[in-house]
Amino acid sequence: MEIYLPIAEVAVNAPLIVALGALVGFISGMFGIGGGFLMTPLLVFFGIPAPVAVSSMALHVAGSSMSSVMAYGRRRAVDLRMGGVLAGGGVVGAVVGVELFRVLRLLGQADLIVALSYLVFLSVIGGLMLTESLGAIVRRRRGEPALAHRDRRPIWLYGLPLKLRFPRSRLYISVIPPLVLGAFVGVLSAIMGVGGGFILVPAMIYILRMPAGMVVGTSLLQIIVTTALTGVLQAGRNQTVDVVLATLLLIGGVVGAQLGARASSRFRAEELRAILALIVLLVGLRMGLGLFLTPEEPFVLMSGMVG
Amino acid sequence: MTLLAALALATAPVEPTPAAPAISAALTDTNVRVSSDFSGARIILYGAVFDPSTRPSDVVVLVRGPEQPVRITRRHKVAGLWLNSRPVVFRGAPGFYRAASNRPLADIANFGTLRRLGAGMDHLPISAPGEQRTETRYGVRDVVVSRLGADYYVWRRAVVRLKQKAGLYDEDERGVSFVDRGLFRAAISLPAGAPTGVYRADILLFQDGRPVAVRSRTLTVEKVGLERALYVWAHVRPWSYGLASMAFALAAGWAASAAFRRE
Repeated sequence: MEIYLPIAEVAVNAPLIVALGALVGFISGMFGIGGGFLMTPLLVFFGIPAPVAVSSMALHVAGSSMSSVMAYGRRRAVDLRMGGVLAGGGVVGAVVGVELFRVLRLLGQADLIVALSYLVFLSVIGGLMLTESLGAIVRRRRGEPALAHRDRRPIWLYGLPLKLRFPRSRLYISVIPPLVLGAFVGVLSAIMGVGGGFILVPAMIYILRMPAGMVVGTSLLQIIVTTALTGVLQAGRNQTVDVVLATLLLIGGVVGAQLGARASSRFRAEELRAILALIVLLVGLRMGLGLFLTPEEPFVLMSGMVG
Repeated sequence: MTLLAALALATAPVEPTPAAPAISAALTDTNVRVSSDFSGARIILYGAVFDPSTRPSDVVVLVRGPEQPVRITRRHKVAGLWLNSRPVVFRGAPGFYRAASNRPLADIANFGTLRRLGAGMDHLPISAPGEQRTETRYGVRDVVVSRLGADYYVWRRAVVRLKQKAGLYDEDERGVSFVDRGLFRAAISLPAGAPTGVYRADILLFQDGRPVAVRSRTLTVEKVGLERALYVWAHVRPWSYGLASMAFALAAGWAASAAFRRE
């Protein structure tokens, strides 16, 4: 069943896009990530123009994150205050990111930056997560005790001014690290068409040292705020949001996200992290590969942005 | 008797002097409506050649969509990485192009004639004005040179090649078929990605390598219904469109969560 997308101006197979949304929604709910890093390359692969894919993704990520954050909220696994601080940074980052993306597209270098961002961030994060989670799995199999939890938090987390109490996360730290983290993820969200959960989640665990149970729900909150803003900005500035495409993705996405959130409780945390790490690593390497392979066609048409 | 008389009347006006040859054509559909189930369209063009003399005639059909500037970049290797060059904007490229003829264009007319008419993908009036400057060369003033230098034609060919790959440009040297003496037909297929706007079909009659008659027809490709409403909304009021679609996405997420909780 082909459906014509009014903004993307291409016809797509509707059940295929819904299935894609469900698959990515499932991963999203399971790992507490937006899933944009997976969806955007897939959409481009299926022939959606890249700017439309990046922008419409924002709607899908916001919608499916909304669906899963409610599930986490009912389990009291959301730190509203920490989410608010992160989102504050995210708002600044999203505005900067959308403008940066415009300039990059004008220079014709958006493709390069997107591919490089995917390669660098996804491979590094995926690699780190994989090493860490495989280590944890191996230790558990051998019956060794888990690595002693290093409770000593980095000193700079406490040395910085503007300290704030986060009772839910049992933290008393400066607001500067979460603000900077939020802003950084906001920029990536606009450039890569992702929610940024794959960076946010590890950063919250390893840098902010938040309790693992709070991380996923809180990161979803930040992702909703950032992607909601990115989506509106992309629609207003670049007119690249396709609501029909987003609706198709959402139909599958919201259902998938619910199922994913339920499924997540059946796995051990380190197993989940290992699977996610593999997915992240593969996508990053696949996106980066294009930079090194000799292209079949040396010329590339760039959609939009003319006149 | 009456039939003979009618025939005599019908042929009468043509008889006295060998009148100029003429061509006539009509499209089966002049309004293509792009709705949610649009997956391309196929339009048939019928036409007739009126020529009292029986000189060999060739028919060329050129269909051009609305002009769309093309931005193109070339990938080149820098320190092991394939990077995009500075983008080049080509103007004069139709968003859709079909050239159909009853035999190869090169056999119908010479290079100069085809170039002048823009007949054939190699003869489209595509240029990169942003890359051009005029200078005096060998004492000749106002010589137009392109900053792309000798590569200019490689770039130009790439525009056509990529458009062809996207199914937007095509050339069919057997696209016009004579179904009867002087009566011909041609099929024009529009892909789902065909741009919206007003298309022009030029139907040319060639004799002895010269165009002797021409007829133009227009064809409108427009979005209708919900597709059109959304497209217009997104482009005329982008901010309210963005806010509304985001609100819709968030509400859908919330609704799904609420629905699942009740189970």
